[in-house]
Amino acid sequence: MDPIDGRPRVSNAGSVVRPAASAAVLSLTLACAGMSSISAARADDAYREIETKYIFGFTEGSGIGLEGEKEFSPDTIISSGKRDGRYTAVETKLKFEYTPNQFVQFEFGPIATYHDIQNVTGLTNISAGTFGGFFGEFRYLLLERGASSPLSVTLSIEPEWHNIDETTGQGVVNYGLETNINADLEVIKNRAYLGFNLLYEPERTLTQEGSSDEEATLGASAAFAYRVLPNVTIGAETWYLRHYAGLGFNTFTGDTVYVGPNLYIQIAPKIFATFAWNAQVAGHEVGVGNLDLADFSRNRFKVKASFEF
Amino acid sequence: MKISIRATMSALWAATILAAFALSATAVKADEPVTVQISVKDHKFEPAQIHAPANKPILLRVKNLDATPMEFESVSLRVEKVVTASSEGVINLRPLQPGQYNFFDDFHQQTAGVLIVQ
Repeated sequence: MDPIDGRPRVSNAGSVVRPAASAAVLSLTLACAGMSSISAARADDAYREIETKYIFGFTEGSGIGLEGEKEFSPDTIISSGKRDGRYTAVETKLKFEYTPNQFVQFEFGPIATYHDIQNVTGLTNISAGTFGGFFGEFRYLLLERGASSPLSVTLSIEPEWHNIDETTGQGVVNYGLETNINADLEVIKNRAYLGFNLLYEPERTLTQEGSSDEEATLGASAAFAYRVLPNVTIGAETWYLRHYAGLGFNTFTGDTVYVGPNLYIQIAPKIFATFAWNAQVAGHEVGVGNLDLADFSRNRFKVKASFEF
Repeated sequence: MKISIRATMSALWAATILAAFALSATAVKADEPVTVQISVKDHKFEPAQIHAPANKPILLRVKNLDATPMEFESVSLRVEKVVTASSEGVINLRPLQPGQYNFFDDFHQQTAGVLIVQ
């Protein structure tokens, strides 16, 4: 029974296993394909150095771009699936990225959102797309990769303002500060990489009814990426996320484990695209049970294109 | 004493902006740079291998002798610069660790070279 409204909960067993297992199997297959190719990998001039920022999917690499580089990057995240009903939330950040020097990168732009929510317990039905807010991001390279160290680390701080709630699609005033440590390790020169992220995101939301909520998300990820062709990178990643009511980890509300594959394609010297899929394979929602489908979606997809100019 | 959430968030945003400026400023080094020159002719770097001392800022002068523009680009050097036809581009490089830093012409991908820092 749902502890909130007393209605019977829809079993998640049948509908969860298939996409989650598919994502896990696909991730494992891609990882194994990459790993098996490693032994055969040879130094090849066709495999030039690569910017690592977008090769890991939802996990971000440490790359900050090249001094003087400007990019326009529509970055879309699609969240789908709750415990019942029909749920799709789309958020597109229209990013302008600029690297003014060899240590710092700035990003900023508007956010567009679309929500299609029907018969999800605890959420109001809605089907609408609109302007959703603004974001800015500051990235600083803390540790650069060099001849003596294959590790590179970047600090990322991203203030956000939303006028539409990311989960419910309802009008709100929301402030967030997504803080990330992005690290990556070059395992095989110009061919194979490991990526790691640490995330802390406090948020405050004021609703139209006048109530206010504080929440925080804490997370960590590990990812693998392997270049199967000079312009194509495949890989897999896993995320562990914990959600709290309150900014300072006051009340734990649930946690989740995402697993999924990723693909990065350099389409032209100044155009690339990245695709990623994460499925929730484990987790716990306090007072409810398996998986945390209140704070996180069952699946999430990332589609990003980037155009340098 | 109770600090409001709004004040906390405002302080975090302000700290972010200040940190951005402070860290950008620290990235600028005051040391005198070492000048290194390279040319591009018939879509080839001349010389294809250049040298520079470690841990000193470098002023890289790229002279494009061709009749078409080129773009000097390097992921490990973290720079890109378009040099128009028959002109010179100047690139400031941070102090580098010893090692090899590959570069190429993004408009003519076969045009490649290497900076050896020692």
